[in-house]
Amino acid sequence: MYNKQRERVFMLMILPAFIGFMILFIAPTAMSFFYSLTNWSVYNSTLEFVGLENFKLLFQDKKTVAAITNTIKYALLITIFQNVIAILLAVFLNKKTAGMNFVKSLVFLPAVLSILVVGFLFQYIMTSADYGLLNNIIQFFGGEPVNWLGNPKIALYSVLATQVWQWAGWSMVIYIANLKSIDSSLYEAADIDGAGPIRKFFSVTLPLLYPAVSFNILMSLIGGMKVFDVIFAMTKGGPGYATETIMTTMIREGFNSGRNAYASALAVVFFIAVFILSRIVITFLNRWERKIS
Amino acid sequence: MSKKKLIKKPIFLLGLLFISTVVFLPIYYLIVTTFKTPAEAAANPLGLPTSLNFSNYINALEAMNYLQALKNNLIITVVAVVFLVFFASMAAYVIARSKKKIFRVMYSIFLVGLIIPFQIAIVPLYQIISGLHLMNTHMGVILVSVFCINLPLSIFLLRGFINTVPIELEEAAFMDGCGTFRCFWVIIFPLLKPIISTVVILNTLAIWNDFLTPLLFLQSPEKQVLLQEVYKNVGPFATNWTAFFPMLVMSTLPLVIFYIFMQKRVIEGVVAGSVKG
Repeated sequence: MYNKQRERVFMLMILPAFIGFMILFIAPTAMSFFYSLTNWSVYNSTLEFVGLENFKLLFQDKKTVAAITNTIKYALLITIFQNVIAILLAVFLNKKTAGMNFVKSLVFLPAVLSILVVGFLFQYIMTSADYGLLNNIIQFFGGEPVNWLGNPKIALYSVLATQVWQWAGWSMVIYIANLKSIDSSLYEAADIDGAGPIRKFFSVTLPLLYPAVSFNILMSLIGGMKVFDVIFAMTKGGPGYATETIMTTMIREGFNSGRNAYASALAVVFFIAVFILSRIVITFLNRWERKIS
Repeated sequence: MSKKKLIKKPIFLLGLLFISTVVFLPIYYLIVTTFKTPAEAAANPLGLPTSLNFSNYINALEAMNYLQALKNNLIITVVAVVFLVFFASMAAYVIARSKKKIFRVMYSIFLVGLIIPFQIAIVPLYQIISGLHLMNTHMGVILVSVFCINLPLSIFLLRGFINTVPIELEEAAFMDGCGTFRCFWVIIFPLLKPIISTVVILNTLAIWNDFLTPLLFLQSPEKQVLLQEVYKNVGPFATNWTAFFPMLVMSTLPLVIFYIFMQKRVIEGVVAGSVKG
């Protein structure tokens, strides 16, 4: 079965995908690394090596440094909030009551909408103008209106809240699938031992959710690092540079300002940040896995 | 015990009501606002509209170039998803079935794309797409969506599934003189239906809702997709948001309809994608 003829056909079958991937992913990724060491920009006709000059510039630029810290802060926070809420939703909604499937489908629905559309919708809901729905509701209950997107101290968290709203349902369905695979005899045993619902959650449910937790955490972390569309729709990086992220800075510098080498250097920093953060998280997850097994 | 259940039930229902409200309120607000005038919406933001007034939709349709953009969205999504299924299934089959080292190496190169966000590549990618004279073409966006963004996950999912398909079937066909290529399309591919539907669903959601790729690679108005049409109209409608909301509704409507009819499939697909990943 494994003759030369077959291997040749195999090669023909895999090559279209492989060549496309090399040209459109591997090559530009490698070029980003290369360009980060040059002075490439639309204003330069000659390409020269400048060593780590771009990185030096990048870390001297307050705005860019803020973008990097905002992105890391955002990614870590969305990972925590999205997953805590999704686990609570999953535990709460994983019952065989009538209409439960409808509620689950409803909670998942925001994930079908485009991030840009959700961003625009919430920009109007959170606006401090008279028609801002959120402030209208707060005032209806006797609270003080809040400048959700205009206050640099809270703008990033407002944006974050919309994304938790949008993606918690996505994580939830993955947690529910995992919950379904947990053997119910374990809960019966815990009942016999007299464990309360909270004890049962921490001693039985959470450890057995490990596969879904580790998957969801890595997905939200990497997804959070890439945040772009929602910022673009809601705040454009402002007020000041309170919601500037790596991606918004990269698009601005690389496409609008033509500072390609600078944008490439930021791409390299982006890569390093994703790599380090996911390494740290994986280490923690592994330690947790060893503790529970 | 029965007493406990009695107390628990209303609290549980209240919880359900709370969750549903938090999730649905923004969507409800989006929909009812499309039928109101700005004055009506400001006076009574959450009330039902006094009449089913479609003039906001008619104005949005005129401002938006809707049908053209919808067509562009459909072309890009359908062609990209077909390409993904076609190229990824063949590649995954080779990776799953051959023990040759070169294919292992290729697979580990594909896997790099699962870990590294594609955004790292976008600035040079722009150069490559212009170099290939694909700037401002649907094919450019399709190729980027397929090969730069979505291919690795599709190959990964398909490979995992093909590993569970028994090899005996192919061996029998092979003995009967069926060639490798035909053997794949005639025998294996039809067996991949469950995972193909996952790949189709995940990629349809991702490609339809992608804003960054069309934003960077499609400039001429007649080539643009729905989200670009929405984005283009933010400025002009900054003060008249009741006229802007129908655009938001109409740009996501096709996917929402797709979801309403396929809920179970979509959710299963997301779960399958994560369990394998």
